[in-house]
Amino acid sequence: MCKLNKNVLLILALFVMMIAVGTPTAVQAQDVAAGSATATVQTPLTVTATAALVFGTIFQGVASSVAEVDAAAGVFTITGQATSGISIYLQLPDYMSTATGDDRMVITFSTTDCGVDTSANVDPTAASGYLNQNPYNLPTGVVIGGAGQTGLFLGGSVNPSVDQTAGAYTADIILTVAYNGA
Amino acid sequence: MKKKNRIPISEKSHNSLWGFFVFLLMFAASVSQVTAGVLVAPSVIVLNDRSKTGRMNLQNPSNSPKEVSISFSYGIPESDSLGNVSIFLRDTAITYPNSSLGWIKAFPRKLIIPPNGSQVVRFIARPPKGLEDGEYWVRVVVESQEGITSIPTATDEEQITTKLNMIMRTAIMLKYRTGELIAALEIKGSELIVKDESVDVIVDFGNKGNVSYVGLFECRLLDADNKEISKNHIQLAVYRDLKRKVSLPIKAGNFKRPYSVAVSVTNKGRNDIPTNEMIFGNDLSTLLSLNE
Repeated sequence: MCKLNKNVLLILALFVMMIAVGTPTAVQAQDVAAGSATATVQTPLTVTATAALVFGTIFQGVASSVAEVDAAAGVFTITGQATSGISIYLQLPDYMSTATGDDRMVITFSTTDCGVDTSANVDPTAASGYLNQNPYNLPTGVVIGGAGQTGLFLGGSVNPSVDQTAGAYTADIILTVAYNGA
Repeated sequence: MKKKNRIPISEKSHNSLWGFFVFLLMFAASVSQVTAGVLVAPSVIVLNDRSKTGRMNLQNPSNSPKEVSISFSYGIPESDSLGNVSIFLRDTAITYPNSSLGWIKAFPRKLIIPPNGSQVVRFIARPPKGLEDGEYWVRVVVESQEGITSIPTATDEEQITTKLNMIMRTAIMLKYRTGELIAALEIKGSELIVKDESVDVIVDFGNKGNVSYVGLFECRLLDADNKEISKNHIQLAVYRDLKRKVSLPIKAGNFKRPYSVAVSVTNKGRNDIPTNEMIFGNDLSTLLSLNE
């Protein structure tokens, strides 16, 4: 007969969930240990594109917007030394282009399209902290959160013209991060 | 004695449970995949006139290849009048005497890191002759993105689809040191801004040495009997002149007015930086009166 202790089951389940949530941190710690002889012991900064800004399928002449607190918002995750000050900058496109470059579509970002959350949250729909921020002028004084992580959420709008060429359009969004206390 | 609670379960339930664990493990793997980024270590690279080469490790913990490029910019912490700090990266028209932009080289500068792989990037300094004693700075910008990107295809000929490539850049400080190195800091001015429930301490620092002053800036809010009301500290890196702000909560309690703020700065106790990379200098302390 198979008998399992309820507590053991619970501990196993928690352990597996901790692995799921904690894997990036663990890898990060390994990276510090594997640094060269001159490596600092400060936790390295890591920027991760956790989710892309998604507009879905859109149609000619119909503008589409995503708020920074929508599930479709773009998400960058910044991990590093907890409570350390960082400087963050976004470089945003003015247009999206087709692969052949024969047509462009306007993409815009309003002065309230960004959020910065210094908790370990990576879910834009549960964002807190610096909300409605200007993505072209991100707040100063941002720190890596107490849990070693800060999230950046980005919304935006696309404005296809009525004669916009159908097809796939791409553009780059660049986030730059630096420690400002070292 | 209290009996331990054991739950007898059937073979079918047992299989379901292990199925659940397999699901959790797959969930774990998928979460790791989604959140993985290129790791860069160390966070500060130090070269000097005896060892003009250095290295940086890049690691790709994800299951997809990462395209990485290395470039250089000049950027040191700069502040506004309220002590808010920013780092502006500049690539051209650099006139700062302490810039090493142009004479630090990286090898390789473009690479693809395979899934779960790592790569060493090496640096070499070729400083100009007659360089004055001191420290010279440049930012190593590590840019990474997915090595293979796919553009979603429209299901209808009239539809438009979009793909935004999320590109990640980390700017790492590289310091080149030569000759006699002096770390020295002065307080050029200070300001207290009293708010409803907090006080902002803004201190204007001047770098009097020839290296960046890296340390800790601590403020303590004291009552008339020198009883501590609150304290806070931040990491400090002064490359040239810099204003920094520390906010102190005004906690309720049995505190006697007038209040004051004890300011101290030291470059000891930065345990996030190896001792052999620290240039130790002077400590500072001052007491500021709070006029409410």
